[in-house]
Amino acid sequence: MSTTQTRTLSVVRLPLVEDKLNFFRYGDVAGKKLVTNDTGAWHFLDEASFRDLLAGRVEPGHAHYEALAEKGFLRSGLDLGRFAEKMARKKRFVGQGPHLHIVITTLRCNQSCKYCHASRTNMDRVDTDMSLETAKKVVDHAMQSPSPYINFEFQGGEPTVNMPVLKFIVEYSREKNRYENKQLEHSLVTNMTYMTEENAEWLIDNEVLVCTSLDGPEELHNYNRTWSKEKNAYADVRRWIDYFNRRYVEKGRDPQLWHVDALMTTSRKTFDHWKQVVDLYVELGMHTIFLRPLNPYGFALDTWKRIGYTTDEYLGFYRQALDYILELNRAGTEIVEGTAAVFLMKMLTGDDPNFVDIRSPCGAGTGQVAYNYDGKIFTCDEARMTAAMGNDMFEIGEAGVTSYEAAYGHPTVKAMAVASLQDSLPHCETCWNKPFCGVCPMHNYMTSGDLFGQRPNSPKCKEHYTIASLLFERLADDPDGKLEQIFRRWTLTRPREQGSSCAV
Amino acid sequence: MSEETADFTFELSERELSFDVDEELYALDAIYGAAYLFVDRAYVFLARPAERKVRVRLRSKEATTPEALEALAGEFANELLNSQLRVRIGRSTAALREQYMSRAFFGQQQSSTIAELLAELDAEEMAEEPLEVPVPWAKGSGAEASDG
Repeated sequence: MSTTQTRTLSVVRLPLVEDKLNFFRYGDVAGKKLVTNDTGAWHFLDEASFRDLLAGRVEPGHAHYEALAEKGFLRSGLDLGRFAEKMARKKRFVGQGPHLHIVITTLRCNQSCKYCHASRTNMDRVDTDMSLETAKKVVDHAMQSPSPYINFEFQGGEPTVNMPVLKFIVEYSREKNRYENKQLEHSLVTNMTYMTEENAEWLIDNEVLVCTSLDGPEELHNYNRTWSKEKNAYADVRRWIDYFNRRYVEKGRDPQLWHVDALMTTSRKTFDHWKQVVDLYVELGMHTIFLRPLNPYGFALDTWKRIGYTTDEYLGFYRQALDYILELNRAGTEIVEGTAAVFLMKMLTGDDPNFVDIRSPCGAGTGQVAYNYDGKIFTCDEARMTAAMGNDMFEIGEAGVTSYEAAYGHPTVKAMAVASLQDSLPHCETCWNKPFCGVCPMHNYMTSGDLFGQRPNSPKCKEHYTIASLLFERLADDPDGKLEQIFRRWTLTRPREQGSSCAV
Repeated sequence: MSEETADFTFELSERELSFDVDEELYALDAIYGAAYLFVDRAYVFLARPAERKVRVRLRSKEATTPEALEALAGEFANELLNSQLRVRIGRSTAALREQYMSRAFFGQQQSSTIAELLAELDAEEMAEEPLEVPVPWAKGSGAEASDG
């Protein structure tokens, strides 16, 4: 176009009767207007009813009056005290302090996964094992959290490589808890390839929740999770899943609460096997499958060209897999998609799952912390990984050296909270998905070099927005209510698992 | 109260779209909010050609067509309307939000009736700001035209 052209469009400005409304956000979802508010209440309106709402025409007798009044969208009959109580329940995690304490017992790992985020070292690097002295300092530090619930989650490297420290932390934290009286849990994220019967029996007897990595069928799992040529990572993980699950039953444990959970990481190769991945989880009796995308940390940055994908490609995969999982549920198979369950708990219940990656503010330093093998404290495990890549910006102290107050009052913790408080973030503050979503400043930092990022350029924003939209679209097209029944079942949490990486 | 129709006039040139927005019709926050949504597709430049006017210039980050630019203009016009609506809803419910937020997080009770809250809001609107602390650049007395 060589010249400048002038055009004119006609636009319609909707009237607004301000004194009839409580605060709400809105957007276009499933061909309707979706309105949401700060308590997580939501309601679908057709275009005409939305205009009625704005114009103050939703009054007694209007088709949507009762629902909108009950959910707190209208000033008429608004009970501010009750509204505030609902909001307080949704935000109960604010001010509780970190509940998820990730402990890196060692950086050593016998696998070398293509997407490893965990900054592993080779098996001869015993200098990257946590010492008992450091472990004691970590427990002493963690147990100062005012949170009534504490979860020690063991990660690595491969955490079972340093089993003495893992055992010590379990036993010492239990001893300390005789005086603290917190709800204390321990969970282990293991690749199972270093497991022994002796360790397995100890973990079962000591009620350590076990979560493993299972990327899918043999070809896919072994492709992603490089091990020695003579060994088969898939066969090992299957063998130990079977072992644990069998022993739980033999020891009379409730299989609903006691079974191995698994996490999968989506690589490009997963796209060719997505149905088999879901089928495998069903075959193994897994309660949950977490369709996790790759994150831009660690080895994944180097291998992105081979195993990475665009956000749109991931979301296409997610949509297919979610619909297949729903099809299985409709046919009577109970399996939950983890990310969907986090969103659904916010959408369909009065609670918030306190999932540290999807909450406002995010959990960095206020809901979770990570302790490296040397006792250094980070705002989250991703921060610890970033430090391993040469950037220690997110280190907030050292166990045994830094006081609890100094660590959690650290300027970095405050910066992470500010950068993830959606009420003050451009676009988030007005987005209908705000009550259900969460921002990860670490992800912003890794993808844009800025803790705040820009929402229209954020892959996480697109991911969360699309997943929430998919769920609402399906709820909007549910004439017999059966889908909502399935979704509500997905929101039932198992008390043992709240707050850990395998939790939903 | 009836719906109001307004004209949205814009200029198209190669890879670029520009238009003036009147602050009598749209709050500055609404203009910022709408413009922000386009930063993935376009370079966004804001300037002040005259008092109470904001010139928005969107330069496409990739090669584009006149039709696509025209569609972008339509999209911006819609977002501007939405953004203005959101600003108005936010402002008119600010006192209510402060009230339930403070109760939710601190258990404090401030005013107790809607009438009191509305009176409080009116008082806020009338309050003067001699130091202009909350006044953004574009409203300041010394503001000059510049790209944003």
